[in-house]
Amino acid sequence: MAQVKSLRLNSRDKVRAVIEHRRKFAIFPIVCADHCAYLLNKNFKDVANDGRKLAEVLEYGYRLYKYDMVLIFSDPYIEAEAMGCELEYSPYPKLISNKGRSLTNAIKIKVLRLNSRDRTKNIIKSAKILTEKLDIPIFVSIKGPFTLACFLYGTEEFLKIVISDEMRARDVIDTATNFQLEYLKKLLMIPVHIFIGDPMASASVISPKTFEKFACEPLQILIKQIKSTGMIAGVHICGDTKPIIKNLDNLNADILSIEDITLKTKTLKMGGVSTLTLLNGDKSKIKKEIESALKEDFLILSTSCDVAVHTPVENIKTMVEIARQYED
Amino acid sequence: MDFDEIKKAVVAFETDKVKKLVREFLDKGIEPKVILEQGLVKGMNEVGRLFAIKEYYVPEVLLASESFYAGFEILTPLIAGVEKSMKGKIVIGVVQGDIHDIGKNIVKVMLQSSGYEIIDLGKDVPDERFIETVIQEQPQVLALSSLMTTTMIHMESIIKILNKRKLRKNIKVIVGGAPITQEYADRIGADGYAEDASGAVKLVERLLEINTQKF
Repeated sequence: MAQVKSLRLNSRDKVRAVIEHRRKFAIFPIVCADHCAYLLNKNFKDVANDGRKLAEVLEYGYRLYKYDMVLIFSDPYIEAEAMGCELEYSPYPKLISNKGRSLTNAIKIKVLRLNSRDRTKNIIKSAKILTEKLDIPIFVSIKGPFTLACFLYGTEEFLKIVISDEMRARDVIDTATNFQLEYLKKLLMIPVHIFIGDPMASASVISPKTFEKFACEPLQILIKQIKSTGMIAGVHICGDTKPIIKNLDNLNADILSIEDITLKTKTLKMGGVSTLTLLNGDKSKIKKEIESALKEDFLILSTSCDVAVHTPVENIKTMVEIARQYED
Repeated sequence: MDFDEIKKAVVAFETDKVKKLVREFLDKGIEPKVILEQGLVKGMNEVGRLFAIKEYYVPEVLLASESFYAGFEILTPLIAGVEKSMKGKIVIGVVQGDIHDIGKNIVKVMLQSSGYEIIDLGKDVPDERFIETVIQEQPQVLALSSLMTTTMIHMESIIKILNKRKLRKNIKVIVGGAPITQEYADRIGADGYAEDASGAVKLVERLLEINTQKF
């Protein structure tokens, strides 16, 4: 692993302070580029395909809500597209083709050749801009290898082969993991913290046994690489995580972003406020959820998933403002 | 005849074995409808039970569904008027902008194997297409799926159009998908919400007041 630049550990790094138990909580409703672009009336496709515009909308979100970290996330298909899958925007991207069985040939090379629609470079550009401009922790969201494998192979077909053709499934996962390791090298050079989103590895989708067999080790490999550079490694899995919570806790991540934060873990949890509460709820409901969440000893007070595009600005502001009242 | 063999082959997602057994049973003169009800449907019922108690997950259900359909496709052309003998007609689809259709496909197979005629509109379905199909097909149930907070707003707009055009009288609208909750379903005026495929079958039976397990 190449040497990274000096780490920006500063007094405003509330996330690190919570991880090290020097602070009870930090605040981050998962505000992503889609919500910010919507507020600014920007075309999402333009934002998702331009690193500078992506940085601009995310900076706007940070300055509007004043939370404690920024997550660079435009859509889940950055890596899949870079590896040759095709997207369509309407206005948000949808995966319209995958690599399917053609991946078999690609496995012979370590990493697939990036295609012309490689947006990882936009993410890197955006991360460089934001780390220079903002004095708070900057995270980049990448996909967990299991989820990336689903996108690459076609979700339904990939979920079938994890049972019916384990060898092939493992080949696809290895390809996804190798790609992410290369991508991580570039991100960690900036340097930025990393959140690995692996929604398809949720126990709402696969069994704990399948999780253990296919999703666990690739996540551990990525986390090890992130932490070897001193950066923070977070893992986000939505849906049901109860049956796999021990596996998640043993990944050695710094943060686990999960829906049910009452699950006991030694790893710092992130969550506490439902995205639907922010979308449809009122001040009293938001306050109630915050108060309940802050019963945790340490927490990144957050939403259980990324906030919906049309979430009212007032509700997100309310979440941050109420939470600030409970700060030390 | 031991229909249990077909049931077990569906549960074990042995697609080739299901096809072989179905053909063997037909060759022996067993009524296609009986093979469907006693073998394939019972197999999917068991898959539904295993899914509900979290012994089976999405991959296992997808594979079992493949086996079920392999047998179902052999039998349906041989069963005269099968649609008319069904419990009811359901139009199902994933709302506009959303291409995540695994959940919808699982709900579809569980409903189909429970005896409902299914009209599957697929994924990324425009609001107006749901409305047109409701007018044309006059189903008892409209089942809407969404996996994204960005697209679930279409559920509300579809219900509003149905209300505006006074199309709600003879149809129940049910909703489901990862970001959907009972609270959301109530708020948008849906008739029901189910957390998973087994729940969807029970919900439809409750809404249509169907008690029998038979086709």
